[in-house]
Amino acid sequence: MLETLLTLLWSFVKIGFTSFGGLSMIPLISHEVVSNGWMNLSEVSDIVAIAEMTPGPLGLNCATFAGIHAAGMVGAVTANLGVLMPTLTLTAVAAAFFQKVQKSHRMEEILTGVRPVCIGLLLGVVASFCQTNYVVNSAVSPQAIVIGLLDAVLLFKWKVSVPKVILLSAVLGLFLFRLG
Amino acid sequence: MEKKWKKMLTLFWQFFQFGCFTFGGGWSIIAQMQKLYVEKEKTITSQELLDITSVGRSLPGTMIGNVAMLYGYRVGGFLGGFLCVIAMITPPMLVLSVITYFYTLFKENLWVMSAMTGVRAAIVPIIASAAVNMVKGAFRFPPCFVLAAAAFALYLFFNVSCVMLVVMGIIGGLLISEYYERKGAGHRA
Repeated sequence: MLETLLTLLWSFVKIGFTSFGGLSMIPLISHEVVSNGWMNLSEVSDIVAIAEMTPGPLGLNCATFAGIHAAGMVGAVTANLGVLMPTLTLTAVAAAFFQKVQKSHRMEEILTGVRPVCIGLLLGVVASFCQTNYVVNSAVSPQAIVIGLLDAVLLFKWKVSVPKVILLSAVLGLFLFRLG
Repeated sequence: MEKKWKKMLTLFWQFFQFGCFTFGGGWSIIAQMQKLYVEKEKTITSQELLDITSVGRSLPGTMIGNVAMLYGYRVGGFLGGFLCVIAMITPPMLVLSVITYFYTLFKENLWVMSAMTGVRAAIVPIIASAAVNMVKGAFRFPPCFVLAAAAFALYLFFNVSCVMLVVMGIIGGLLISEYYERKGAGHRA
């Protein structure tokens, strides 16, 4: 149990320190939780959807979800603390030297390299989700592809909000896979 | 002394409330802080909130956690920051725990499974649109494209850990910025 908690903490400390905002956390989280066997890729998809529909930032929601899967409520608290580690240490130091940090260009220079890497990682994770999320009962599912294409149009062309897209996809899923 | 504890308690309660309404991304918490601290209590100016947000966003970790720490530290030192962070993450953690419980309970249910299959089909376009939204301003110099391509390939085909790739980005970013700064300085001279 203690070993699981320590692994969990270390995983989410790594995720915390290497994530710079929003969905760019997904590749990191996906890599850590899948390789440790806490979640599979489908569950990672599910948690992304759930995290987008509920309050709280994605990283913390994933931490709660994976933490509970790995070690129950204690696991959830541990994983949350892990993600928050940079906030509780680095940001606290930054707060103490706020004027200096604000004027420094170092962070901007770092982000110059980190942002492109995040985009590359996001595209990488999209590619791996393509291989799992459109396969139902080990066959490529035309229905799932139709839902995906429709969602792409809604998101890119009509700028429909993410929670609405998720809700619509759930309803479509019910019709196409259960009632169809 | 008593006054200090009252202040801390107020801070905790305010951020607890913020935490209840942080749907998607966390920009809503900035909006709530703007309403309460800038417009109503006038404890900070809108420019200061903007500064806190931009520093919070550029540091690693979750953006709103960082913002909570920066604001809390300003009002009540490390303890203030710590309380703000804990207060803000408690509501989403409780909500998610309940949801995780039900998810585990119902994920074998055929109706839930069908709905989730639909939802999974939405994840690829959602992440793709997040990546596209990040593109603006992300490629400051030509070598940034190389970094993105390298990260993509190393992640997907060589299973290199993300931590290593982000470290690669940090080093790459420093080197690229330094190079172009010097080049720029050379031009001016």
